[in-house]
Amino acid sequence: MSALTLYQLVALILLMAGLFGISQRRSLVGMLISVELMLNGAGLSIVAASQLTPANAMLGQLGTLFVMGLAAAEATLVLAIIVVIARRFGTTKTSVISTLKG
Amino acid sequence: MENMAKIVFGFYTLIILGGSLVAVGAKSLVRAMVGLIATLLGVAGMYMLLNAQFMALMQILIYVGAVCVLIFFAIMLTRADAGGEEAASAPLRQNLLALTAVLSVGGILGWLVLTRPLATTGVPVEVSIEKLGLGLLGPYGLAFELISVVLLVSMAGAVLLAWERRNGK
Repeated sequence: MSALTLYQLVALILLMAGLFGISQRRSLVGMLISVELMLNGAGLSIVAASQLTPANAMLGQLGTLFVMGLAAAEATLVLAIIVVIARRFGTTKTSVISTLKG
Repeated sequence: MENMAKIVFGFYTLIILGGSLVAVGAKSLVRAMVGLIATLLGVAGMYMLLNAQFMALMQILIYVGAVCVLIFFAIMLTRADAGGEEAASAPLRQNLLALTAVLSVGGILGWLVLTRPLATTGVPVEVSIEKLGLGLLGPYGLAFELISVVLLVSMAGAVLLAWERRNGK
């Protein structure tokens, strides 16, 4: 088994953990944590694939840097949304937040 | 040298595995966040092993330094009870469905990874920080500017979202 395959498997573990978390957690913060896990798996996969193959290594590293930037932006917005929801509903449990307003 | 790399790889894999299990399974959200931090540090170690030191540094700086602090703020601002919002375990059916989803996706992707190995160079390429900086200012300048706009918009949006209600009613 080549080194690249091992790295991809570790990234796959991160993706699976995040996927399990996002479908099983029942609070928004727990889901946010799971999303961060999945994004990390994506970053690790990109860097491993670009560093260990003849592909453009600089492009891979910069791509992962952009993934990190997007993750930071996403976390900021999700934090604001969570704060608004916590003010309005008094909780962040997903089972309680079920009111839609058209 | 080769063996040393394998040992370190196994060590980081164990950290990532344990950390992600805690992050997904812990009853208390603060503990889940600590698990997330362990996982992030493990991934930073993986970057180091892949000869991408700058990425390892950025991983620690952005994720552990910024994103985890944001998550901690989210936990504090929502007044999560000390027992944890996840105190009661999820119903068995939900767990089974989640497991099915994970195993189907993981099975397909794992099969693809294992049966279609790519040609690898074996030794990680080294990219100097100068090259990365020149890339950001040269061929990928547009993406760099766009991501700064995205960050600015998300920051302004976050302020707006958290402000509105206090002013409004």
